Amino acid sequence: MNVHSADALTAEEALATQEANQEKFDSEAATQVAMQDTLLTPRFYTTDFDELDAIDVTPVREDWDKLIAQMQSDPNRGHFKKNENWDHVDWDGMEPQLKKEFLDFLISSCTAEFSGCVLYKEMKRRGSNADITQLFQLMARDEARHAGFINDALREAGVAVNLGFLTQKKKYTYFRPKFIYYATYLSEKIGYARYITIFRHLEAHPEHRFHPIFKWFEEWCNDEFSHGEAFALLMKTDPKLTSGINVLWIKFFLTAVYSTMYVRDHQRPAFHKALGVDPDWYAHEVFVKTSKLSEQIFPITLDIDHPRWQRGLVRLQKANADLARAKTETGISATLTRLTSQVRAAAAFVSLFTIPAKTHRVPATTRLEPAY
Amino acid sequence: MGLLTKDFEKAPCTVEVSHRFESLHAHVKFNNGAVIYPGDEVKVHGPMIMAPYGEVVIEDREATIIRASKLERLWTRLTGDFEFMELCEFSFSEEATL
Repeated sequence: MNVHSADALTAEEALATQEANQEKFDSEAATQVAMQDTLLTPRFYTTDFDELDAIDVTPVREDWDKLIAQMQSDPNRGHFKKNENWDHVDWDGMEPQLKKEFLDFLISSCTAEFSGCVLYKEMKRRGSNADITQLFQLMARDEARHAGFINDALREAGVAVNLGFLTQKKKYTYFRPKFIYYATYLSEKIGYARYITIFRHLEAHPEHRFHPIFKWFEEWCNDEFSHGEAFALLMKTDPKLTSGINVLWIKFFLTAVYSTMYVRDHQRPAFHKALGVDPDWYAHEVFVKTSKLSEQIFPITLDIDHPRWQRGLVRLQKANADLARAKTETGISATLTRLTSQVRAAAAFVSLFTIPAKTHRVPATTRLEPAY
Repeated sequence: MGLLTKDFEKAPCTVEVSHRFESLHAHVKFNNGAVIYPGDEVKVHGPMIMAPYGEVVIEDREATIIRASKLERLWTRLTGDFEFMELCEFSFSEEATL
């Protein structure tokens, strides 16, 4: 059976391929019993759908149509499947701390892709603006595909993703449309910068590539790149989104996303050591790339070379580590540590946020191509 | 809907869970056109829907929508935005130290 469902053009075709592969799945199901179960718990969102529907892409129509046509042509269809480049992974021989951190990396990546899919699908279903619903449909397709690919890598490691969350009580949270643009634009672009930085590093140092999934990062991050482009164009349709008080919101999102990434990456020391990557170097590389890219639409970038920047990140990271430790302990001293580390984290964030931003002129044309 | 009280309503829905290689997704669609507002909660009734690997499961179920109170809706509108970090690939994890 050489046909793979990742090659399918339609859902029906994919299903037929799946049925043909049923026998294989049945035998796999037997081994599933021993698998570790991880319940995905994405958030559910709602937004102001009237505002979303009111978007008019006319000012960027030419760029918009080109981008949508490129996404529709689906250059990555068929890319997300295992081939001869998928080397054997010795999960049992993997150093336990590395295995733990790497699995956490895969699970958080899977959850993020999955959450993106849930969000985009919801926008697609509730919206009535044809341009917007088409975009969200295409992005939901990509995110579900990425999630499926990571899920497959997790299964190999004996981790089964449980999608049973739908029957649990779940609360719908709210995103203002403009915050969806800022947050998803940034998460797509920083995702691109993260994946491509690791990919290029491992190209130069293949001895550190301890899992084959990294070989797929290049095409993968091109999807992230296109999604970011779409949000950049959306923001371009309304100059208000990137001026006035909204510049402060942009600064807030930039600071929050960069500092969260820094804190989280420092929680995975064994993972970065195995990749041969210094997390401080990595963070700086990713910030430089993301800042450069975001100049396409944001009128400011963070001053990541400011002396307070690195100091603030380290303070934030230490405060978070102390907070996490105190949360596992009980007693008055632990309560006190929890309190003081929260205050320290907040102070560090304020210090980062108040670093004067760099301003620049936003180019008239928005579109970029992946070049890193 | 009161300032502090919640309302309950039932809605038929279709649940789709895909556990396939090329698409991992799960969605709930309300078949009576019910609209969800900020802070509302949804519970799909019946046993947990478990799609085996490689399969898509589509089931019609009944759901209860627990409508948020006016105050809760307002609160969710004001604060929901700050949960955006989940969309970043590096953010989600219950464990702060690994």
